[in-house]
Amino acid sequence: MLEFFQNLFAPPRHMILLIVAAWIGLTLAERRTGRHQVGKEDLNNITFYGLIAFVLGGRLSYILQNMSAFSKSPIGIISINPDLFDPPGGLAAAVIGLLVYAQRRQIPLWNALDALTPFFAMIAIGMGLSRIASGDGFGIPTGLPWGIDLWNATRHPTQIYETLASLLILILVWRFKPIPHPGFLFLTFAALTALSQLILQAFRANNSVFFEKYRGEQVLAWVVLLACFILLESKFNSKSKTG
Amino acid sequence: MDRTQRLILYALTLIAGAAWIILSAGTGPITQEGPAPQAGFPAPDFTLKNAAGDSFTLSELKGNAVLVNMWATWCPPCEAEMPAIEAMYKEYMAQGFIVLAVNQTFQDNPFEITPFTKEHNLTFPILLDETGETARMYQVRSLPSSYFIDRFGVITEVVIGGPMSEALLRTRIEEALK
Repeated sequence: MLEFFQNLFAPPRHMILLIVAAWIGLTLAERRTGRHQVGKEDLNNITFYGLIAFVLGGRLSYILQNMSAFSKSPIGIISINPDLFDPPGGLAAAVIGLLVYAQRRQIPLWNALDALTPFFAMIAIGMGLSRIASGDGFGIPTGLPWGIDLWNATRHPTQIYETLASLLILILVWRFKPIPHPGFLFLTFAALTALSQLILQAFRANNSVFFEKYRGEQVLAWVVLLACFILLESKFNSKSKTG
Repeated sequence: MDRTQRLILYALTLIAGAAWIILSAGTGPITQEGPAPQAGFPAPDFTLKNAAGDSFTLSELKGNAVLVNMWATWCPPCEAEMPAIEAMYKEYMAQGFIVLAVNQTFQDNPFEITPFTKEHNLTFPILLDETGETARMYQVRSLPSSYFIDRFGVITEVVIGGPMSEALLRTRIEEALK
């Protein structure tokens, strides 16, 4: 079953899974726009401009980090290679794109983020599935019966753990009602995702290292979790003051 | 849930999270033991011959950065990236960069290989995988598939699909040459 899935969506076909996840996520988000006082057209425009900013920002960030290579081969700037891409740079550009669009259209940011939460949750599932297909984000060796044979060892199926965690988070945020304040849905999603990453990254084999022994992704997830808690609490406080 | 209960929940979660980070520290990153066609692992070794019958063994090239490029004559993106690979081979050869272009001979027409290399003026070694053993070791499922290997024989990057641009090749080669 796993081998069939990996053959069917072997790279570069694994990107199909992300595209399908984005499409399902946007469809789900559209169904809940009314609840967050965001129009369907605005939601689609936010997603469209966000994706454009993600693609352009990711490429621009990659170019800036590899200026010497591009100065010798400037035509590479418009190359269709998806590998010439910096995901964190793309994410930063998408956030800026979202902020600019929301401000220009006078859409409250937290409402927009709440409306987009099913989209983000589906993207997380799509990323997990694409990792199952590509074998990226593989786990440490294990003797547990549910280990999978990958890259010369029986390993923790970290990609499956992440996909299941993301699916569970989607179900949770989809069923939340009522929403106590704008931003609650998005911040809860972000906190749960950070918590799942904090737990599951311990089973990953190829983490970055922080201060020589800690796993960088876990530390980042802890910081995101802290930020989510602070923002959630400040939202509750401002609501109790105004309400 | 009132404010006090929420603050207790936040604090307990953060403390448990910090404890989990400390408990799981020191086990990563795991040194990847044994060869596998994945970044961070030693590259699977192989010995293949070119059309002239000369043997090339990957492990004997340690000390050089190597690009193992899996290709076939019928594959348009493979053909499209060959000029860029040739240009980069010539530019970085003096710094210890080698290209091993492994033709998937078991699923290609062997009589088209030499005309193909002459047409594109390819000067790097063109190796023939006649049995498909190397393709199986590298789990090749799409063409072209490229594996950038550093001077210690460890794969630094895998690029599936193509064509690779010169800019992409430069960034990956410079990383492998470090």
